[in-house]
Amino acid sequence: MKKFLGLILCCAAIASASMIGVDALGEEQIVGGSAAAAGRGFAGGAKTGEAEGLSVVNPARMAFDSKVVFNLNFLMDMYAIESGSDSYFTKNISLPSFNLSFPMGDFGAFGISLWQHYASSIRESVSDTLTHADARIEYKGSVYEIVPTYAVRLPYLRNIALGASVHIVMGSMVRSLTLGPNNEGIADEDVWATNNAELTDYVEGSWEIDHHPAYYSGSVQYRGRQSSFYFSYTTGYTLLNKLEYNFRFSELDTLVPSHVNRRVKVPAMFATGVNYRLAKRHNVMMDLQWRNWDEDVENVGRSYDMRSKTETQDDFVASIGYQRDGSTLYYDPLPDRITYRAGAWFKNWYIADVYEVGGSVGAGFPLGRKGISLDLAFQGGKRFSESEGNWEEVFFGIRLGLMGIGSWGQSRR
Amino acid sequence: MKKKNIAFLVLFGLCAALLTACLFDSGDSGLSSWLGDQGLPDSYKVQMLTVEDLTPVSAKVYAGNTVFSATTRAVFGTQAGLTHDIVFDFAFIDSSFFAEMKDADSAAAFVALVLDDSYYGAKCFPKDSFPYEETLDLKVEWIIDNGKKKSFIDSVGKVSVSDWLEELKEWKADNSADTTYELSIGAKDSLVIIDLPSAFVEDMKKAGPACHLQLRLSAPEAKRVYRFFGPDTTFMPEFRMRSISDTNIKKFPPFRMSDVVTYNDSCGDCLVVHAGVTDSLVVEYPMEKILEALSDFYGDAFPYDEGDGNDVRQAVVLAQLDMVRDDSEGYNELGLPIQVVVGSFIDSLGEEIRRMEMYKVNRKLVAESGHPNMVFYDGDSLSLQVTYGVRDLINQARNGRNLKIMTRLGYPVLQDKDSLYADYKTADGDSVYVFFKHFDYARYDFGKTFSQPAKLKLWLATKRGGEE
Repeated sequence: MKKFLGLILCCAAIASASMIGVDALGEEQIVGGSAAAAGRGFAGGAKTGEAEGLSVVNPARMAFDSKVVFNLNFLMDMYAIESGSDSYFTKNISLPSFNLSFPMGDFGAFGISLWQHYASSIRESVSDTLTHADARIEYKGSVYEIVPTYAVRLPYLRNIALGASVHIVMGSMVRSLTLGPNNEGIADEDVWATNNAELTDYVEGSWEIDHHPAYYSGSVQYRGRQSSFYFSYTTGYTLLNKLEYNFRFSELDTLVPSHVNRRVKVPAMFATGVNYRLAKRHNVMMDLQWRNWDEDVENVGRSYDMRSKTETQDDFVASIGYQRDGSTLYYDPLPDRITYRAGAWFKNWYIADVYEVGGSVGAGFPLGRKGISLDLAFQGGKRFSESEGNWEEVFFGIRLGLMGIGSWGQSRR
Repeated sequence: MKKKNIAFLVLFGLCAALLTACLFDSGDSGLSSWLGDQGLPDSYKVQMLTVEDLTPVSAKVYAGNTVFSATTRAVFGTQAGLTHDIVFDFAFIDSSFFAEMKDADSAAAFVALVLDDSYYGAKCFPKDSFPYEETLDLKVEWIIDNGKKKSFIDSVGKVSVSDWLEELKEWKADNSADTTYELSIGAKDSLVIIDLPSAFVEDMKKAGPACHLQLRLSAPEAKRVYRFFGPDTTFMPEFRMRSISDTNIKKFPPFRMSDVVTYNDSCGDCLVVHAGVTDSLVVEYPMEKILEALSDFYGDAFPYDEGDGNDVRQAVVLAQLDMVRDDSEGYNELGLPIQVVVGSFIDSLGEEIRRMEMYKVNRKLVAESGHPNMVFYDGDSLSLQVTYGVRDLINQARNGRNLKIMTRLGYPVLQDKDSLYADYKTADGDSVYVFFKHFDYARYDFGKTFSQPAKLKLWLATKRGGEE
């Protein structure tokens, strides 16, 4: 297993995510991108259990957990993008999140998550002597968040929990377009000067929150016998991307770069969800997240004919899911101990005229007696785009989550 | 069962995924067209701009008397307006020998120098130059410091070479004598033995038992320079002294040597540059003219002063200055073309630094008419690449600096039409060198080159839009 994880981590270096909106913020990993949530169509923010773990949308849920949860998520994506008769295929492996939650009994629960909230990741090249094409494009953009979270059940009203989290933002952004010369416009006798003269339009920068250390989420969750639900609110914030623009010949042969800051005003987010228990261990759930974007996103842009901004729209994710919890009894047959999940979602991207329809199936396999489980989710769908420059994408992804569950720090009752 | 099954499941999933990945066809045209939709090109368009009639706003030669260490190669004589003196630095202790010297009537001394056959024996050295014969009017100067113990010798050795060279700039001899020497060199490995004048020998008689001797030989009227091996070679120079008889000869090698260069001719504001020494010529071309041409070409404002004012809208792939050349006022010894070395003054964190320019070979042109950056060669033009300089000028034009370049004479060029521009070995195992590893102590007048208008040719790439 260690070797396998190592392989996945190595592969993460050769990544390319969705090609929609790469010059804006990139692709958003909803609800922390965990494999368990992905299996049920990103629904289940209100689903409580012994070891549901941390949710970056609904921090309060964690208060109902009784076991320590550590999970690590991998995502392998494949995309076929197309526009008219042109198509392109790319794939990606990434680590969207890892989470740790630590229930402390009556003192509530503490958790921390590292979440790759937005990612733009491409590394592709094209070379064709006939059309003079000689280009390598690379995007390496990540807005990471470290999310310390605290949740506690109310005294007396034990079915209600409150939770809050702090999102500390960091990350980096690189856009590199390396081009070979096209000598069509100059005389034959002058062509010698551009032999091997590759030029790179290079932009790099870092992410932080403008004038603020972090942004915040707060939620309230009710857990009922049959139905549970939550409401959450996340504050709006302004992302600051300090960029350095260069047009360079090599890493050692560069001009003095030009510095520009771009600011992206991300609006507040409302989220709610409900989980309904149909029968023993059978759950249906539905979640909704909504943000009202009122400003466009300023792009990295500033080169060639790149668009300077990306128009936005109200973004929301509506998801429904089903989960059959696996039996916790070790002596039950394996199929009975597996957790089965299925779900579907509709996502309106933050980018105008881009929306996504997806479906998923997933399962949680128990590993051994100690409560470790492996979540696997297969997801697929299509991203529709009517916006300029963004191609439609058909995607297929595999998510793998490793969940370690223990009862450390919990006294035997 | 569980772990194995899970691992199998995972591997199966990944295999399926990889297989799917292979089945999709990711054609290159797809990416080109995606880039196009983002407003990005799939190659950069090379554009050319020529700035005509670029006349320097200033040109100045930086030259002057200087001192070089001559540990491996020593140069002696006068050529191209420069006199090269040899200074030997000796330190020795021998109480019995100096005691003998004191009363010896037949005391004598000479220095022996071995001709540098890596120069005189080289293929490119004209074989018919020998024999060299002339009567040298020799000036011998010396400084003798005496001590008694080994610690005195040690203290001499502790003076660093750079300090010693610095001291030589303020040379004040204790004594001197003029003499003549009948120089006759018949072969590439001849030995030149110069008898030292009696006044020097008389001074040496009073020296010791520990002695620090600095001996300077000068021949300002010599016809040419002569090249000898220095003390760090097998054929090191020797200084010998005789006391009573021919059997009592002591030999002392110098532990270091130097070449003191004196300028005989001063031509005021002329643009004469000598090779082999530290001469350099600094020329400034007006920035305004270059920026004007760029502004006309792109239709944008230059200098760029938005934000921090660093202009990264375009890049100079290559910049070349084309100028006229007139070799008639120059002098060179070997008859080989000499490379003109270029550097540009660029900004580095607010400080002006000199960056040597790279030289990109125009193979076709070189094969036809030789490297364009040489003097003492066929033709009447000189092309110098100043890419780094122009790049920086445009990038930080807001600073208001001119295009400032430095030129100097480099090594003689052996392969004037070899476009490889690197040393290599032929199939027969012969080494082919681009440059001769000795300087030609030449003199070149850049007056015409840097007084007449030059043409600046730019190969440009831009990331402005609006192409499609």
